[in-house]
Amino acid sequence: MSEDYEVEFIDRDERDARFVVRDITPAFANGIRRAIVSDVPTLSIDTVRVIENSSVMFDEQISLRLGLVPLTTPDDYDVGETATLALDVEGPDTAYSGDLVSADDRVEPADDNIPIIDLKYPEGADSPQRLEIEAEAVMDHGKSHAKHQGGVAVGYRHLQRIEVVGDAADWEDEPNILRGVIEDDGELVPTESFDHDLSKRYPGKEVEVHDVPNAFVFSIESDGSLPVSDLVLNAVDSLADRADELEQAVQL
Amino acid sequence: MDLRVIESEEAELSIEIAGEDHTFMNVLKEALLETEGVGAATYDMNPEQSGGQTDPILTIKTEEDTAPLDALETAARNVRDKTDSFRTAFEAAA
Repeated sequence: MSEDYEVEFIDRDERDARFVVRDITPAFANGIRRAIVSDVPTLSIDTVRVIENSSVMFDEQISLRLGLVPLTTPDDYDVGETATLALDVEGPDTAYSGDLVSADDRVEPADDNIPIIDLKYPEGADSPQRLEIEAEAVMDHGKSHAKHQGGVAVGYRHLQRIEVVGDAADWEDEPNILRGVIEDDGELVPTESFDHDLSKRYPGKEVEVHDVPNAFVFSIESDGSLPVSDLVLNAVDSLADRADELEQAVQL
Repeated sequence: MDLRVIESEEAELSIEIAGEDHTFMNVLKEALLETEGVGAATYDMNPEQSGGQTDPILTIKTEEDTAPLDALETAARNVRDKTDSFRTAFEAAA
């Protein structure tokens, strides 16, 4: 018993994508969503060795901020493997995520413009504030800490179909707001194309909105550690691995 | 994945699946319900804060001629098939 799914992309980008999956059951759709959020491992700073921190914040606070910086994650890292990064910034300047220098050039901050801390050269001080650290990034799952979540906004909603049921009464000119993607004559139409307002697409008509059974519009945004397509495929693989493991365990 | 059989009868099986959560259990439950010869399938798990039993316990009731363990094996293979065909469809579109 094997289903044939049908996937069609609406928006596609490294960081942000939207696609329709047809003939998928709600349970499997939710399994994929949950796996993207909690079971796809990514690299994130986990241990910090502070060499000098004369900034106004405690080492622990700086470490938390460093941990939250998304790092690009090469596909040959296993869970528990580490990568070393370093940062050395002297005031008056702001330390940004882009100042992190990595030992592995495939592991780098996904965004360069995340401020870590503003460093000053206080008036009358002998030396400027300085932050110098070395850090270990570790590969781990979103389940153990949210900083390891590769997907930041992962969700799905039903694909919808609009049925014109008659003419609207003359006095009805209220907007009829719908957000998502509708299917019209086999064509996928994102609702932003008509300003999310059905009364603009079907002026003067009374319409009903129906969910298309077992068709879901996934909307997935990545934090930059992995491209969206890798997030999805790794999540599906993690489900597949568990299915294999269970099958073997049952056979024993 | 550690399995611990809690109750095993001819047409009913309760089994603890250690280390899993809703992500996999719900997909598995649904695959079981799609499996021929399965009358009922459900799982129960408690939140971590509850203390005590937190690993999911899967319960399967089968109709005659079907061993619950065989049904579980078929369902696991069914999940694998689903993931394979999803992967194929996704890669074809991407």
